[in-house]
Amino acid sequence: MENVIEVNKLEKVYGTQTALADVNFQVKKGETFGFLGPSGSGKTTTIKILTGQLRPTSGDAQVFGHSNSALNHQSYRQRIGVLTDNSGLYQRLSIYDNLKLYCDLYHVPVQRIGEVLQLVNLTDEKKKLVSKLSKGMLQRVLLARTLLHEPDLLFLDEPTSALDPANSKQIHEGLRRLNENGTTVFLTTHDMSEAETLCDRVAFLHKGKIKLLDEPKNLRRKYSDSTITLELKDGREIVLPGGSEGADVVYQYLSTNQVVSIHSNEPTLGDIFVDITGRELV
Amino acid sequence: MSLSLKRIYAIFLKDLKDLSKNLYVSSIVILPLFFAIMYSRIDQPTIEIHYLIINLTLVSITATIQCAVIAEEKEKNTLRGLMLSPATVLEILTGKSFVSLVLTAVTILVCMNITGYMPENTVFVLIAILLSCVFYLGLGTLLGLVTRTVVEASVIIMPFLFLFGFGSQLQGLTDQYSILAFVNYMPNTQLIEFAHKVEDGLGFADLWSHLLIILAWGVAIGILTIGVYRKREMDE
Ligand SMILES: Nc1ncnc2c1ncn2[C@@H]1O[C@H](COP(=O)(O)OP(=O)(O)OP(=O)(O)O)[C@@H](O)[C@H]1O
Ligand SMILES: [Mg+2]
Repeated sequence: MENVIEVNKLEKVYGTQTALADVNFQVKKGETFGFLGPSGSGKTTTIKILTGQLRPTSGDAQVFGHSNSALNHQSYRQRIGVLTDNSGLYQRLSIYDNLKLYCDLYHVPVQRIGEVLQLVNLTDEKKKLVSKLSKGMLQRVLLARTLLHEPDLLFLDEPTSALDPANSKQIHEGLRRLNENGTTVFLTTHDMSEAETLCDRVAFLHKGKIKLLDEPKNLRRKYSDSTITLELKDGREIVLPGGSEGADVVYQYLSTNQVVSIHSNEPTLGDIFVDITGRELV
Repeated sequence: MSLSLKRIYAIFLKDLKDLSKNLYVSSIVILPLFFAIMYSRIDQPTIEIHYLIINLTLVSITATIQCAVIAEEKEKNTLRGLMLSPATVLEILTGKSFVSLVLTAVTILVCMNITGYMPENTVFVLIAILLSCVFYLGLGTLLGLVTRTVVEASVIIMPFLFLFGFGSQLQGLTDQYSILAFVNYMPNTQLIEFAHKVEDGLGFADLWSHLLIILAWGVAIGILTIGVYRKREMDE
């Protein structure tokens, strides 16, 4: 499949601090790609380079076949949508007026405003002043704004951090619908469950390098220890190894009707991350 | 390079709406009006007085409001959004200059009415004031770009307010203190000398050198401003 993003040997040094050491990855057309890593691992730095806000120290980042130096061109900006971790809105204007400005900047008809507001569930709020909005609403307006011009590629820097689960879920649903329509999504997060529900592939970034890159389900399978946990009626929980040895025990408890639940012990992406880096994802 | 009028107009409309609800910034308009009303009590105000008010308007409205609206875009993280859109530097900065320009025009016209200034040649004066506006817009934009908040911006503009608002008064001291010689070449002083010559009925042959100096200020600050803007576009 066609690659939308190709990153080779990317390095970024701020003064004496190395933010990205040697980053390599590709993002395919139409996929949702998760970029995970703890605070300070270089997620935002990568997005800034890919969106033409920062020049890499060395290495190469190509998007839609444009090289580094062309990533601040108008034609490129018309094709991408960027939600940075500190995007702002005009506080004294209504949601509608904020979006109207962006319609004109991107040469998009104002009818799009209704469509994007529906996508983020804010149709009834469009006359509201931005200064009167809750955090979750603000984030949804920002997402709506990045979608106005129907970008082929979306960069989302922690789109749901600081949102409650209900708001996150709404944004996730919106993103899934976009992805079904063929939008490629590059998303950073330190929320493992978000990555699991949304992403086709995830990369683990740690100390400026990608430690692991695969589909979430492959990772879980690879790092699974194939044990099983039984929860019993007397309140005990027992962990059993896989294979015939465990199967016999399961059979015993099951036949004497003592079992409440059976779980296979798949690791979460969070567990895998700790496994690889020895660090919690925070 | 083609400019999109649609984008420029959209930014202008947005700023106009925004500023109409921003008492803190729009209240600065009172300053030159206050001076105009005070000086209107004098019989036959001189060119110095008319241009004290016009220069004050240029720095306190053209530059200060420009500086405040740019600083606010930075403070509220909205400038980044404009930069990441397909709008070009020129479209963004032109769009963002129009509100201060319109306010400047209205204030100068109202003040001229109050103090009763009728230039000998309106076209010449208009050209000189417009050229000055380029410089003051550039100054405001530059100061807005290097500060982070509106409050910081309103502090950093102060010395310029005195220098370009009242600085031409220092001209009387240039004979005593030779380091003050630069005052003669400041855009505000040049504007006053230009206006005197216009009143004396002189033509373009005697006027162009002043226009050239004012233009040079505008070009210099314009280049500096675009450079700083491009820096801000990258990094940070
Ligand atoms: N402008 C800058 N100047 C100097 N150092 C910087 C700058 N921006 C980022 N850094 C450093 O580069 C490293 C990577 O930062 P980056 O913002 O990319 O991390 P991140 O993964 O986005 O973290 P977070 O999850 O907290 O947003 C950090 O150590 C940070 O201190
Ligand atoms: Mg970040």
